Amino acid sequence: MNPPGAVRGRSAIVAVGNTEQGELPGISADELAVEGLRRTLAQAGIAKGAVNGLITCKSYGGFGIDTAIGRLAGMNPSYSATLDYGTCNFSLHLATAVIEAGLCDVVAIVYGTTQRSQRNTFSTPLGHPDESSVYGFLNVAGPAAMAFRRHMSLHGTTEADLGEVAVSQRRYAVDNPLAIFREPMSLEQYLAEPYLVEPLRRSDLCMISDGAACLIVASRERARDLTDKPVDVLGIAQQTGLRDRQNADQWMRPWIEQVAERIYPAAGISQADVDALYIQDPTSMWVLQMLEYYGFVATGGVGEAFRRGAVGHGGRLPLNSNGGQLSEAYMWGFLHLCEAVRQLRGDAGERQLPGIEVAQYCSTYGFMKAASTVLARSR
Amino acid sequence: MTESLALDAPFWEGARTGELRFQRCTDCGFLRWPAAGVCPECLSRSAVWEAVEPVGTVWSFVIYHRSYSRSAPPPPYLVALVELDCGVRLITTLAGSSADHTVGMRVRARFEEFLDRGVVPVFAAVE
Ligand SMILES: [Zn+2]
Repeated sequence: MNPPGAVRGRSAIVAVGNTEQGELPGISADELAVEGLRRTLAQAGIAKGAVNGLITCKSYGGFGIDTAIGRLAGMNPSYSATLDYGTCNFSLHLATAVIEAGLCDVVAIVYGTTQRSQRNTFSTPLGHPDESSVYGFLNVAGPAAMAFRRHMSLHGTTEADLGEVAVSQRRYAVDNPLAIFREPMSLEQYLAEPYLVEPLRRSDLCMISDGAACLIVASRERARDLTDKPVDVLGIAQQTGLRDRQNADQWMRPWIEQVAERIYPAAGISQADVDALYIQDPTSMWVLQMLEYYGFVATGGVGEAFRRGAVGHGGRLPLNSNGGQLSEAYMWGFLHLCEAVRQLRGDAGERQLPGIEVAQYCSTYGFMKAASTVLARSR
Repeated sequence: MTESLALDAPFWEGARTGELRFQRCTDCGFLRWPAAGVCPECLSRSAVWEAVEPVGTVWSFVIYHRSYSRSAPPPPYLVALVELDCGVRLITTLAGSSADHTVGMRVRARFEEFLDRGVVPVFAAVE
């Protein structure tokens, strides 16, 4: 019997697409999501009528609900749903589950946001509202900075170690025409930035942007009709930490480790088979955490791993080759999967990496849940 | 904030009288925070507010150098997470110079005026 989450190509990604990223005034979030869908279908040569499943992602301001998107896009899919959170891993996992159950066989996953134009300041407290707001504990930067200071204290990690994450991702973004931040950044420039929430700096945190992204997922049978370059979903894994602050070390998010234990058996690969790694990065600290939990670097060894070329730009294991949320755009993780698919299909243009057969994507929904997916070029 | 009618009102009332109080489940004895109408262990709705020894250990702390909200304290300001000996994890602030603070530092609550928020728990290093 297969282990849990062993999708093994019974679902495949057949197309990915996106709009421009940045500040896009004059269009609603839902219209932007539909524009992402239109471009994706058009580029892939897939008819709208071929789509019989729709999974949307709620976006800032209450937009992105499946019923509204379906009406706007003129669709009556057999199945539709909305997830209240992003990163795309959770959406993709739901798509594979409903395809497996036979509810539909071609699913469009769409996300569009105008949170930059809507001036989302991310000023709502995390954790318990009253207690957090009394002391001004606001923005994801707060708990991420707490986790980083504790990590420095326990493991001897330095600010220069963490800086390697943002510097490496910026280097990739220089070659990515979609990226918002394309000016090269040195470690010295990083360290010269003032703190925002000490010990984190501006470049440790992603900037809010507008945009849309879309993925089309199909059953193995339908995938072959729709493209000659499907990307197989090999395995999926998830774990929640919903008890929040009653969990010990909640901001270290130790439950990510359980996803790490499940994902390689689910995919039927070993970690050494991963050719390109994608880690969702609202903060650089989350990249540091996931590199350690998934076992790509030793605890406390992230800076050293970048410096000796084990991971990152120019290293043996490419990491966030699009520049990630820190440098490309804040598409709540959706563009990480788009990039992984483009690399696997050989569609990444100037930043195409050689010999990418297997890619892994790791993401988290804040302090609530973690997920990972392994994708492979279909043989 | 301290006039709150929310579930956590007894916590802030306790702070004004110099006590750190949390809800204890009268069915299974679990001490819970943040305040809630249900025990997360046994799901009972029955609980009493109980004062605890206001001592614990600094899990970590950060310094905000920018303001994310008009209602936030004026930057720079410090926020800490303290793991109390009773098991509760509390978001709070630390008295004194941040240069002297360390992860793992033992602290005890004082109850002090904090900006316009009234009397709230503020933790200081145990001598
Ligand atoms: Zn109980």
